[in-house]
Amino acid sequence: MSISRRQILAGSAVSAAALASGFPAPAIAQSEPIKIGYLPALTGPSSSTGVGINRGTQLAVELINKEGGIKGRKIELISRDTQSDPTKAVNAVAELTQRAKVSMIFGPLNSGEALAATPLIARDKVPMLHPCWVDELIDVKKYPMAFRIAPTNTQVGAGANYYVVDVLKLKKVAVISDTTGYGTASVNTYVPMLKAKGAEVVYQNHIDAANPDLKPELLRMQAAGAQAIMPWSVNAGFLSRICNTRGAMGWDVPIVGQTTLGSGQTKALLEKPEYWNKVYSNNFRQVCYANGKLPPRAQEFVDRLKAAKIGFGDTLLWWVALGWDGGTIMADIFKNAGTKNDDVVAYMNKVKGWPGIYGTVTWTPEQHNGFPDSEVVMCEVNSLKDGAFNLAPGYSA
Amino acid sequence: MLESIVSYGLAVGAVYALIGITYNVMFSASRVFSFTAGMLGMLGGVLGALFITKFGLPVIVGLVLVLACGALLGIVTEILTVRPVLKSIEQHLYVLSTLAFALMVQQLTAIEWGTEAQPFPRLIPIGPGWLDQQFWLPMLACAVTIVGLELLYRKTLIGRAFLAIAEDSYAARALGLPETRLRMASFALAGMIGTLAGFTGAEMLLAFFGNQSILNFYGFVPVALGGMGSNRGAVIGGLALGLFQQAANFLVGGIFAAVAVFVVFIIVLLLRPEGLAGAATARRV
Repeated sequence: MSISRRQILAGSAVSAAALASGFPAPAIAQSEPIKIGYLPALTGPSSSTGVGINRGTQLAVELINKEGGIKGRKIELISRDTQSDPTKAVNAVAELTQRAKVSMIFGPLNSGEALAATPLIARDKVPMLHPCWVDELIDVKKYPMAFRIAPTNTQVGAGANYYVVDVLKLKKVAVISDTTGYGTASVNTYVPMLKAKGAEVVYQNHIDAANPDLKPELLRMQAAGAQAIMPWSVNAGFLSRICNTRGAMGWDVPIVGQTTLGSGQTKALLEKPEYWNKVYSNNFRQVCYANGKLPPRAQEFVDRLKAAKIGFGDTLLWWVALGWDGGTIMADIFKNAGTKNDDVVAYMNKVKGWPGIYGTVTWTPEQHNGFPDSEVVMCEVNSLKDGAFNLAPGYSA
Repeated sequence: MLESIVSYGLAVGAVYALIGITYNVMFSASRVFSFTAGMLGMLGGVLGALFITKFGLPVIVGLVLVLACGALLGIVTEILTVRPVLKSIEQHLYVLSTLAFALMVQQLTAIEWGTEAQPFPRLIPIGPGWLDQQFWLPMLACAVTIVGLELLYRKTLIGRAFLAIAEDSYAARALGLPETRLRMASFALAGMIGTLAGFTGAEMLLAFFGNQSILNFYGFVPVALGGMGSNRGAVIGGLALGLFQQAANFLVGGIFAAVAVFVVFIIVLLLRPEGLAGAATARRV
């Protein structure tokens, strides 16, 4: 039997009409897994964060699937290790959005990779969720499908500034950084914010992180009358030298700054353990001890992790909690909005007060930065226990 | 302030001087300016921390192993990156081959060791102040090296053979000196000096893969200041650089200290292109 050209065209038209009118999809589509593209850096120089976050994400997805998935559909986490390399992240985006046809992308988990990947994810019109801090990564006009579940760099700096000026009541501040893009941009952003709060920036400088002797810098800060040092750097060597020099000088001023101040790498480079006293780093209220206790949600989470034999010996609670929140909020979104991209974004635009372990998330159509200012706090770096820190002195519980 | 300038300045200057000598020892034997000097310095710190802190070996054993690794790397550098390009030395291919090898080793170090600075153990627990090993150990290493090299070159047959190769390799070969083996030996010697610089300076500079580029550059400055091939010039240039850098840290601070160093470096080279201790070369007309 021959098939005429007219018959083929007629058949195609019927198929197209059926698709356009929402013709019932085959039953298999209702049970096939929901694909989520996941871009952690599990190896390479930025991998410590990625490994911690990954622990929480994997646990969340595992538990959701064990409990039956989302309306009977399992979550399939298609994970691609970016190796801390933006090029690898970009290649993985192409694979996930164009070939794997994922319903959402979680990640990249580092800002450098996210800066490269976000425009491509936006171009392919796939919803994106990430925990990166660089402010420019969220822009509802350029990237209308991108949402953040972590604070921005501006919020992080504002949290530190609030602690120095409003909690410690110190007005004379020294602000320094290394010469990296992150360091210089942070100082240039945070100094005007400090001044706007009424603080006097008595010393400001960008310093070569390789300089082995920071005594001249600290002597200048001391001579300028600084009451607190605010270093902005992710270089553990640089930060530990500041702590060591302050300790050797016997200068009893607080050091307030970025999370690396409280990292194990910084601790390993201290000449004396007591040089870590009065050092306060950024952290997050929901995952900090207040009067020796974690908030109930975080405590319940820690108990759950302990039951699953997941320890914190080599990671931090806020990293694992962030990964958990990423997994569970995506599950909530798919449960309530389905997997069509437009429906997903419309739902995410209305999320209000979502109670995460790491933070409380609220998005609006105009604001895709979901983390509240009030939950960015400072912690005592020498108080690490079970992956979490004490709130810095002065905060109310 | 003066104490800090002198102690840190001389210590860091001694490390720069040793890296400068490493450049010189390789250059003298081959007329090749090998960019592996900073790599050797970086590895001195990293391998020292690895052997002593991570593996728990005694300090002396750790030091001997570090020097052995340095010698081995020197020989590998000569075989892989210098020997193949010596025939076409006028094309300066050695610049790329030695630099490529150094960068490859640096990346391998970053992958295996990590990209964060790590502590180097305090070998001799005395101090603080001037007695702290981070200040006197690099200076002691520098003094021992310069005296050792003088004795080697003046008092031993192999040292004189090194000098003969450095002076005129064609004439030395005509006299029957084994040029290739002597070049390998001098690269091994340079490897030991470079790793010794990193080992003795690592409490101050930390065990950090990123030290490679810093040592490569700041180790080159004393060679340029002191004159290519002059070890005494490298020591004087290195110590002067360390003192000036530390004084600039106190006087201007921040990134301006580095700028001040570069400005002085350029001025000196403009005034004396052959270096402070180098002799002006006659131009054939």
